[in-house]
Amino acid sequence: MADNKPEDFEQYWGDTLGELAAFPARPEVEAVPMRDTDFATAYGVHFTGLGSYRLFAYLSIPKGEGPFPALYYTAGYGSVVTPIPQGASNDIRSRYVTFSIAARGSRNADKPYAASFPGLLTDGIENRATYRLRDIAADCVRGLEVLIARPEVDTSRIVLIGADMALLTAGLASGASHVVAEPVLLYKTMELAETTKAYPLQEINDYLRLHKKAKTVIARTLSYFDVRSHAPGIEVTTLLKAGPAHSATDKLKLASLTTAISGPVTVHESENSGYKDGLFADNWVSSQLGFYAPILPEHWR
Amino acid sequence: MPRTPPHHYASKVRKPAELDSFWDGVLEQAAAIPLNAKTALNRLRSPADVETFEVHYDSLDGVRIAGWYCLPRERSKKLPAMLTVPGYLGEPPIPLDWARKGYAVFSIAPRGKLRSNEQFNPGYPGLLTHNITDRNTYGYKGFYVDAMRGVDYLLTRDEVDVRRIGVVGSSQGGGLAIVVAAMRPEIAAASAGAPYLCGFIDAIGLTTTYPYQEINDYLRLHPDSRKEVEETLAYFDGMSFAERITCPIVVNIGLQDNICPPETGYEVFNRISSEDKRLYTYDRHAHDAGSHEHSQIIDAFFSRHLNL
Repeated sequence: MADNKPEDFEQYWGDTLGELAAFPARPEVEAVPMRDTDFATAYGVHFTGLGSYRLFAYLSIPKGEGPFPALYYTAGYGSVVTPIPQGASNDIRSRYVTFSIAARGSRNADKPYAASFPGLLTDGIENRATYRLRDIAADCVRGLEVLIARPEVDTSRIVLIGADMALLTAGLASGASHVVAEPVLLYKTMELAETTKAYPLQEINDYLRLHKKAKTVIARTLSYFDVRSHAPGIEVTTLLKAGPAHSATDKLKLASLTTAISGPVTVHESENSGYKDGLFADNWVSSQLGFYAPILPEHWR
Repeated sequence: MPRTPPHHYASKVRKPAELDSFWDGVLEQAAAIPLNAKTALNRLRSPADVETFEVHYDSLDGVRIAGWYCLPRERSKKLPAMLTVPGYLGEPPIPLDWARKGYAVFSIAPRGKLRSNEQFNPGYPGLLTHNITDRNTYGYKGFYVDAMRGVDYLLTRDEVDVRRIGVVGSSQGGGLAIVVAAMRPEIAAASAGAPYLCGFIDAIGLTTTYPYQEINDYLRLHPDSRKEVEETLAYFDGMSFAERITCPIVVNIGLQDNICPPETGYEVFNRISSEDKRLYTYDRHAHDAGSHEHSQIIDAFFSRHLNL
């Protein structure tokens, strides 16, 4: 359990999701023939989030008779959103519905608001009601609602994949069956920022250097987003991707998060190898969803 | 059927006979455009030990290009310089780490990246196939020039020792490092990790992952354009540029790289002319190309060649 969970945490997020509910999703689905394959059809989906903001997602649906399990790629920290993550075999689209959200600020959802990198982590941070990550968390929840509503989706097998936003989505919304996540920005943010000089956490240090008196208020805002506070709400089966041994987010140091998650948790400590870490995650997802083997990219087979 | 071992793979890429004349023409065109560089201190991104500047300069087709320029605050004599070139998806970072090592460092955002995308914005996916049927209009023509002109910016800086300029990057940055090292004689040393933009036509048969998959997507929709696509790409392929590289260079690849296949990494390395070149291969590593371990090798390499 987080030692910084605000007393009105449930109220804050209840209000946020209540506000979201007032904006119907109104999805518009358009074909994207350029990204079609022999085994999957590609779409772009435009839908509404908090404050009538129009969001976007790439959707891919396997050809053949569904329903199909789904992989939902939640918002990461960057402007670019791709149909499936760079490095994943395109063949996974033959097995899974894939849904990749462009939350507000990212490309395809960057009008009127285009996020800056660096910059997003501290955008509006002095007011928890206007902090940009609040909107983005709500965008990810809305994305899950849009995905679940698709008739091609097997709603008993939906995996949230990503970083902090995957955990927040799992904690705030029901409907997913699994989550695969790597906490990178919203785990003990203030504490870890003090130990690094690297972006994106360096954004916090930059901000405090120019706004010295803001430390208490931004710590307060961030406490609503700390993944440890969201952990009790995560009831789904979870793969937590820890940093490498002796890093700030290694398996040992993530213990306060791991133990706070309500559902079953597997923790995989990074081996500093995209191959080894990726193989572990792909095998985990595949076996959790009931498949004999994962669909791996050519050089991993 | 088992795959051919990556170091035995034979590339299909052939250097076009007109490669040099094509690029001579492009660079002549670019040289006629004044850099018109503007450099402005960014206080928010300047910590106690580094000054960070926002830079903008003009490039081909009048596109305004952005970059981050960082300097160590403690400097008493001319500095070695580093040009850092970005990956395909990520935004160019503010290179505080290189400045802390003692370099004047310029991190460029070629056209289409945030802050350089008002006039040119093909998106992702999209950049790799933007106007791909004509080498004169292909999106990477301007993109490569934007990267090369990063060297011109460094040459304007009084604090830079122009005999000690390096270039470093991984993935797309690895491909750009190869192109810049090939085309700019001012580059004294280069490091290319997991080089992308090398062996396009090989890669689309070796992997089904993005970004190379963009080309397969394009050809699926436009099968009649294959000949033109292959012709264009040969003018932008790192393998076509590699023999022009004569400076010291290190290349690192992951033998399980599913994004930039190791087959293409071996081949581009073999074509580099430098006498002082070394390939580092990392087994059981993918697109990270052993970066955790390799970063120390890169530091030592530049320290040696740029006399840090």
